[in-house]
Amino acid sequence: MSTLQFIVDNFNEVMYLSWEHIWIVGVALLIATPIGVILGIIITKHEQFASRVLNGANILMTVPSIALFGLMLPVLAIVNMGLGKVPAVIALILYSQLPIIRNTYTAIKNVPPSLVDAGRGMGMDKWKLLRELEIPLAIPVIIAGLRTAAVMNIGIAAIATYIGAGGLGVYIQQGIARVYPEMILSGAILVSLLAIVVDGGMAILERFATPEGIKVQRKLAR
Amino acid sequence: MITYDSVTKIFGTGKDTVTALDNVSFTMPKGEVVVFLGPSGCGKTTTLRLTNRLETLTRGNITIEDQNIMDIDIVQLRQRLGYVIQAIGLFPNKTIAENIAVVPKLLGWDKERISERIDDLLQMNNLEPELYRERYPAELSGGQQQRVGVARGLAADPDILLMDEPFGAIDPINREEIQNEFLKLQANLKKTVAFVSHDIHEAIKMGDRIAIFNKGRLIQYDTPEVILTQPKNKFVADFVGSDRALKVLGLMRVSDVINRKPKNIIQGTDRSQEALNFLDAREFRYGIVIERNRPIGFVTQKSLKYEEGPVRDVVEHYPLFLREKTSLRDVLSFMLMHDAGTFCVVDEDKNFAGTVTYNDIQKAVKESYADEAESGENGVPV
Repeated sequence: MSTLQFIVDNFNEVMYLSWEHIWIVGVALLIATPIGVILGIIITKHEQFASRVLNGANILMTVPSIALFGLMLPVLAIVNMGLGKVPAVIALILYSQLPIIRNTYTAIKNVPPSLVDAGRGMGMDKWKLLRELEIPLAIPVIIAGLRTAAVMNIGIAAIATYIGAGGLGVYIQQGIARVYPEMILSGAILVSLLAIVVDGGMAILERFATPEGIKVQRKLAR
Repeated sequence: MITYDSVTKIFGTGKDTVTALDNVSFTMPKGEVVVFLGPSGCGKTTTLRLTNRLETLTRGNITIEDQNIMDIDIVQLRQRLGYVIQAIGLFPNKTIAENIAVVPKLLGWDKERISERIDDLLQMNNLEPELYRERYPAELSGGQQQRVGVARGLAADPDILLMDEPFGAIDPINREEIQNEFLKLQANLKKTVAFVSHDIHEAIKMGDRIAIFNKGRLIQYDTPEVILTQPKNKFVADFVGSDRALKVLGLMRVSDVINRKPKNIIQGTDRSQEALNFLDAREFRYGIVIERNRPIGFVTQKSLKYEEGPVRDVVEHYPLFLREKTSLRDVLSFMLMHDAGTFCVVDEDKNFAGTVTYNDIQKAVKESYADEAESGENGVPV
């Protein structure tokens, strides 16, 4: 109950930190999405790079976030950006790459070859094929990748408070430092809530972006 | 007209090469359906895919109306050649109308023209436009999807249609129907059609000519009749099957063997004893009874023996009458089913046109194999 009281008492700050959190994750996702989707598409057309790109993204994922911040600090310190939102956003962009690239790659690869063949045989060039066939069929899976990335990033952004990025992680970090359970709980609950809401929102987006014909197909296959 | 000249296709490089097509030459005449037939991996599909450059020629030339396909822009070439593949080739994210519109759209037709064309094509393929235009492929049965596939291939009214096992994924009953529909369509459209199939029945039915492939070589290129009656070697003979006599019958019609002036005709009004004497004198076992120029049945010497009245009272009726275009395969089947050696043929007005007997059929089959008997020593089973 006192946690709720804490949130009510500090409502303006709560809103500000939430906004900051959403901002970091949102900006990171906005930048990461085109990079990841384009990379994902490129490696379906140039198969020889596929395993290298996917392995690279995989290795990035294995680096603990705290370590990644630490690694970036001396590099970005050169341009005087070692702390703050910039390294946080960069880290989130890097972490987003694996789910986005992998889902894009898999989704486009899963377009039945017979359909691609039919399109080519009718004289569609590879751009038309991409636009009219491959991307529409791949879009639900690509968005599922974005969904994974978004939810994961909300969690990682909470840690970015240690490099001064702000966000709801501030409550957790300061709460621990000041042994203030209500503050810790407020931060934890709000971050979780944010993740759940974003997850739900992305699920709706996924359904919205799925081509009508594919929905019909799924419904009939059931 | 499409000409294949020493066409060779080798897949892979180094020591992993596979020769998919080896020096294949033949010409597809304009307006004919040529079936590319053979077991899987024989090169039939490769030949088709070389034609619209989905595969690249290793050696040789393919020309369409005397124009080398390598000199035609690849996208233009493909838009000129209608392409139909198995039912799975429809884009699931597009409606039926959008699927058919793919090539016209690529060609930059205006909206109204495309819309009219879609309706025409759906109607042509026995699909009600209002009902199907806005549907998605998943909502259609396999047969309906394939009809849409054919419509899509015909969308830009290409002179040439490439069909890669177009009806392969459809159940036998629907396949029969859609084949018939396509033949009807083709009778009007007179497209030059390259039709890949692994089914000899389909090939005989659909093809004006059949090109039989094996292991990348063109083994025989002939009309279905010649392939069936004069298979070039054991491979072709085996491929067309040991029942090829029956298949030949499938190609022949009643009109090929009809006896228009049988001698054992009796009028229904004749007295039984008169008729008996007539049959006895000419040593006929039975007579065909006709009344007002319509066949009503037959009588045997035995059935007439103790009868006095007119023949029509003792006549045994035929279970069915044949038409001139009935296939001999069906006739033979009727003969077996009804334990009958003779059937009457009637015209549209049910007037008597002639008879077909089992012997007539047998003679016709024998004649069609006459040429083969001479080449029997080459190991061709007769």
